[in-house]
Amino acid sequence: MTIQVKREKVGEATVVSVGGSVDIYSSPELRGELKVALDGKVPRLVIDMGGVAFVDSSGLATLIEALQKVQGYAGKLLLCNLSAKVLGVFQLANLDHIFQIRETREAALKG
Amino acid sequence: MAEGWRGIRVTIPSDVRYLEPLRTMIQETAVLAGLGRDAVAEVELAVTEGCANVIRHVYSNSERERIDLVFTFSDDIYEVRIDDYGTFVDPARIKSRPLDEVRPGGLGVHLMQKVMDEVSYTKNRWGGTSLTMRKRLARPAKGPRKDRRGP
Repeated sequence: MTIQVKREKVGEATVVSVGGSVDIYSSPELRGELKVALDGKVPRLVIDMGGVAFVDSSGLATLIEALQKVQGYAGKLLLCNLSAKVLGVFQLANLDHIFQIRETREAALKG
Repeated sequence: MAEGWRGIRVTIPSDVRYLEPLRTMIQETAVLAGLGRDAVAEVELAVTEGCANVIRHVYSNSERERIDLVFTFSDDIYEVRIDDYGTFVDPARIKSRPLDEVRPGGLGVHLMQKVMDEVSYTKNRWGGTSLTMRKRLARPAKGPRKDRRGP
C-alpha cells in the first residue's frame, strides 16, 4: 500500500491529501510534500488523512514537525477525516489536544 | 517448539520496507490468533514500533541485519517476541519522552506500552535484545444466551 500524497491549492489554503500507511518507511515522502507548502509559508495547511489506514510514531513525528514550522510563522495547520483507528493513535500520544482536528475537509477549510 | 504450540515464526531483514508486509501478516492471522479488530490495530502498531526501534537504534538503519519474530497464540494471551542480534540495550535506557514535551520523536516506546499489557526486554543467547510483548485477549463472556428461556 505504502503512501499516496497529493498537494493542491484551495483558495488561500493548501490541502495535502494522504492515503495508505504513514510509517517509518513512507513518512519521508510526506515530509517532502509538506516541506514545499511550509517553505512557501502557506497561511492555512489542511492535511486530509481520509485515506490513511495506518500511522506510527514516525508519522506522528512528521506531523509534529510540520505543526511546529507552521506555528513558527503564525500559520494554521488542521487535520481532517481521521479514521477511528488513526485518531486512536493520536489519542494514545495525547496529540488530539495539540492538533486542531476536524471531521471533514470543509470544516478544516473554514477553520 | 513444544507439541501443540500455535503461532508463527518470521524472519525479516532490518529493512523498513518489510514492516507493511509484516502488518499484513498480523491482519491475515488475526482469526487464528483470536484477535479482534481493535486488538489487531494495536498489535500492528506495537510490532511496527518494536521493529523500527531495532532498525534505527540497534542496527543504525543498516538494511543488512536480521530480525526474528515469534508470534505465539494461546487462548488468553497473544505474545510476540522480537529478537535482534545487536548489542544488548539496558532496559533502563529505553525510555519514552514526557508527553507534555511536544516535539518530534520519542513516542514509540510509549505507544508500545499503551497498547500492550506487558512489555519486557531481556538479553538473548546471541547477546542481543529480546523484546517480548503480551496482550491479554478479551473473550466473549460465557453464560446463558439471552434468547433462551429459563426453566
